[in-house]
Amino acid sequence: MTDIDHAALAASSAPMEQANSARANSAQANKAQTTRAATARAAAAPSGVRRPPAEPPRRRRPPAWRYRTGQSLGRFALFALPGLLAYVLFVLVPIGMTAYYSFTNRNPFNPPTRWVGLRNYADLLGDPEFHQALANTVVITVIVTLLANAGGLLIAMLLDRPTKLYLALRGVFFTPVVLSSVVISVIWQAVLTDEGLLNSVLRGLGVADPPGWLSDPEIALYSIAWILTWQMLGFCVVVYLAGLQGVPRELREAAAIDGCGPLARFRNVTWPMLAPALTINTVMLLITGFKAYDQIQVITNGGPGTGTTATMAFQVVQTAFTGNHIGYSSAMAAVMLALVGTVSVIVLRVLQRREVTR
Amino acid sequence: MIDARTHAWLRPLAATFAGAVFFLPLYLMLVNVFKPSTDIVPHPAAPPVPPTMENIGAVLSRPDSLFTYGLVNSVAVTALSITILTVLSAMLGHYLARSRHVLAKVVMVTLLCGLMIPVPVILAPITSVLKTLGLMTTLQGLILVNIGYYVPFGVLLFMGFVKGVPLELEEAAELDGASRLRVFWQVVFPLLRPASASVLIFLGVWIWNDFLTPLVILGPDSGTTVTVGVYRAIGQHQSDFGAVFAFMFLATLPILVFYLALQKNFVKGLTGGAVKG
Repeated sequence: MTDIDHAALAASSAPMEQANSARANSAQANKAQTTRAATARAAAAPSGVRRPPAEPPRRRRPPAWRYRTGQSLGRFALFALPGLLAYVLFVLVPIGMTAYYSFTNRNPFNPPTRWVGLRNYADLLGDPEFHQALANTVVITVIVTLLANAGGLLIAMLLDRPTKLYLALRGVFFTPVVLSSVVISVIWQAVLTDEGLLNSVLRGLGVADPPGWLSDPEIALYSIAWILTWQMLGFCVVVYLAGLQGVPRELREAAAIDGCGPLARFRNVTWPMLAPALTINTVMLLITGFKAYDQIQVITNGGPGTGTTATMAFQVVQTAFTGNHIGYSSAMAAVMLALVGTVSVIVLRVLQRREVTR
Repeated sequence: MIDARTHAWLRPLAATFAGAVFFLPLYLMLVNVFKPSTDIVPHPAAPPVPPTMENIGAVLSRPDSLFTYGLVNSVAVTALSITILTVLSAMLGHYLARSRHVLAKVVMVTLLCGLMIPVPVILAPITSVLKTLGLMTTLQGLILVNIGYYVPFGVLLFMGFVKGVPLELEEAAELDGASRLRVFWQVVFPLLRPASASVLIFLGVWIWNDFLTPLVILGPDSGTTVTVGVYRAIGQHQSDFGAVFAFMFLATLPILVFYLALQKNFVKGLTGGAVKG
């Protein structure tokens, strides 16, 4: 189980590398370019220079440029095309279709499909169900992002020791990350239902009327947010542990010698050094919270009552596949995508700026 | 941090306590898999003494074979998806990392955006595309969708690692007369093994645990994956926790074994890549 932190390292290095890769890539590409060009010149030189121009050598091959483009096209077709084709067919084309559908009244059981302009979007503005779904999504996302980040950091600091006990505990906290959210939902449902384990414990402790964690419309949403937090906690722990391992011991010692107490040491040394880990966790949690669907489908089906725990993702799927209002659900999906995109890009920018100026 | 020596007992105690509380729900599932259903409601937290295989047997011998069919489907979909994904995204990642064309950068950014797209946003059009291709409610259709959706992740992971493979190695092989394909298969791809292990683990776990995509694409008639099977099983006998827990236990076991088996590679892989990259 020592290896979980490496898992996080991979997870963590991937998004960050993307940012840096552009620069590194172009540098490397330049180098490759000059090398290749030099090779090409060297190859071309001997035949061309010495022979008299009146008697050009017969060419069995097509001209170099055609040969080369032909080759690179072949390379493209062989190496890049298959993967790109699947991506275009099942991600880019559907995105385009979602955008197009959102301006129509498409409903497979109620043809013909007509162009309705911005009507779907106008309807969304006045749709209380959508407003509630939006609010619920925001609540879940904020709770999950804050709780899992804070809890993950605390537990990571608690477990930041290399002995067997702590390595085993890392494994414990990481387990839910490997489990399906359906499985996690069913487990927590068994714990949180009215006659579930938590309430029988509470009754045993003398609470006469324990809350209906999943049946009380006031509480159910927070229960769902808690389940998501529990599920994501291990991920955050592992990413923070990887970050903590990157904090040089000398820095902490130096700060201690300069008279920093534990709190000041954390604030001035450890916390700034954890900036990249915070970025990864926050972006991951934001995206997870925004697209929360499985737990709602399995546990509450949007209830109790109407839509008290419905998220945007749940609303989109319901509208599309239960109500068959593809046009309307597409408009919802477009809004959802725009929100996810905008928020993650802004948060990423802000947090990465923090990383640079540490 | 407070005072390492006088409070030496505090950290292990707090850590163990936190771990135990955290693990409690999982403990509940594990314990109740091996208890007769009649014992679960009165004593949910009691250890299973003596353990019974009754629940597991019931899941395996379901008259509708929900578990066995689901298992076959899950294994087929996961294995094929991750194998194809590893090969395709390694090739594409290698191509993009080495390409100096402007378009390569455009493709890279487009793929990056794909990482953020939640499934519900594109699910309805995906079903339209699959219907057009005649692949709706088929395993092939599900596999293709998985490939399209997860290719960005694979590509980005591989691209990071390709930079650790010296270009001179490829040029040497090419000078020796190896074709592009051969250079890739015999020189580059073996060096990318650590990245391949990571891609296999991540995508294996994600695809196995996927719920919404197989639920919609495979539909109610043509069998499901085990993960969707869990959902179907709770619909049928909400009250029989023993049966449901046993189903979940069996559905989780294969992917847990897969994860633990590959984990070692994963470690070597990542450190290797980290040092080089």
